Amino acid sequence: MHSNRYTLFFVFIITVVLGTLLSVTKENLKLKQEDNLRADVNKTILRSLDFSEEEDNPWSNEKVEEIFNNSIVGLCVDSEGNKIDNVVLEEIDIEKDIERLPVYLKVIDDELQGVALPVAGKGLWSTLFGYIALAPDLDTVLGIQFYKHGETPGLGGEVEKEWFTNNFVGKKIRNVEGEIIGIKVLKGKVDDSKEDAIHQVDGISGATVTSNGVTIFLKDDLKRYEAYLNEIRENGII
Amino acid sequence: MELFSTESKKIVTDPLNVNNPISLQVLGICSALAVTIRVDQAIIMTFAVIFVLCSSNVAISLLKDHIPSRVRIVIMLAIIAGLVSFVDEVLKAYLYDMSKQLSVFVGLIVTNCIIMGRAEAFAIKHGPSKAFLDGLGNGLGYGMMIILVSFFRELFGAGTITLPNGGAGYVLFSIERDVEWLINAGYENIGLLVLSPGAFFILGLVIWVQREIAGLEEEE
Repeated sequence: MHSNRYTLFFVFIITVVLGTLLSVTKENLKLKQEDNLRADVNKTILRSLDFSEEEDNPWSNEKVEEIFNNSIVGLCVDSEGNKIDNVVLEEIDIEKDIERLPVYLKVIDDELQGVALPVAGKGLWSTLFGYIALAPDLDTVLGIQFYKHGETPGLGGEVEKEWFTNNFVGKKIRNVEGEIIGIKVLKGKVDDSKEDAIHQVDGISGATVTSNGVTIFLKDDLKRYEAYLNEIRENGII
Repeated sequence: MELFSTESKKIVTDPLNVNNPISLQVLGICSALAVTIRVDQAIIMTFAVIFVLCSSNVAISLLKDHIPSRVRIVIMLAIIAGLVSFVDEVLKAYLYDMSKQLSVFVGLIVTNCIIMGRAEAFAIKHGPSKAFLDGLGNGLGYGMMIILVSFFRELFGAGTITLPNGGAGYVLFSIERDVEWLINAGYENIGLLVLSPGAFFILGLVIWVQREIAGLEEEE
């Protein structure tokens, strides 16, 4: 049996050694991890805007940055649709900040080809983060992509899968009156003969809470941009 | 000791069959339920568990004469948690897609009873090379079982077989894509298998078959 003093000493040493090891690892890898994270978010924006990587040649972090710098214009607006200058877009807390809203425009040869907007909200276990992109008519969905969530893989985690995100392409976020109503994730399959089918996508079986969460935050987040989207619709890019 | 002696071989092969951590010791069931929805996740989880299990076994075995027995469980847990966090950080920096795919499961390796179980039952009593082999054997035994369970769950639950490939995985086989006549004949996936109870059913069947083959019976 070891003495109390020895036991305390041993525990102390182990804690210090493990703590040091972990903090040194973290410090050394931090820059690389941040690079990966930023590239991943930018990749999500590009994918939602209908850029796609070739299958046998996945994008490196540098490639993502290159495409991003060449064809994406980022800006920040408020809920009234006015532009806010001098904001670092990466620093905006997408989930909580409702006064500063980032917008990413896909502009190629001076022509607007799409608008990507961040969306975030609660699923079952976690907050989901993603981007939804609209075609220049600001009604049709160009794509949706999620880059961060903690939902159950195979169930709620399916939101990041192609079969789910592909369902959004071509759906409309506005009703006949032009009001933003979002996209509803159903429980089960969409009945194409129904009139509402254009605003609905197939749900994920076994993930009702996640599906409902997506429906709710898509609508809420898109509503925040309504003023800005109407502004571009009437006056072009501001 | 000899690394390739019969005894070492037994340390590695026993957990694969007659002493399998999942089907016979019934350890590590929690993660066996969670990560067996898709084959690719089960495969990646297997690698992560083998790494953590081998290194924690070796670390604990090296320290075995110095660890005060009254606090040994806490020390083991600290070492295991430290290793898991280390793996998590490295994955985030160098294999970002894979770390995204594994998400919470990497952290959950800490709570995998097999790792703690092997540390307490084996590593603390044996030398580092034996402890390493024991870790390898149990990791493989665990992996074999979860890959088997995930195979049935994914095939009959979701109708696909997915192999690890970056973030999304590579769909090797899909009933909808490859066996169209079956779908036309009215085949439907068994959705229950994707949910947690499905894992219990499959796992129960696997345990039954394995015990039958190994010729083991519960003691009365």
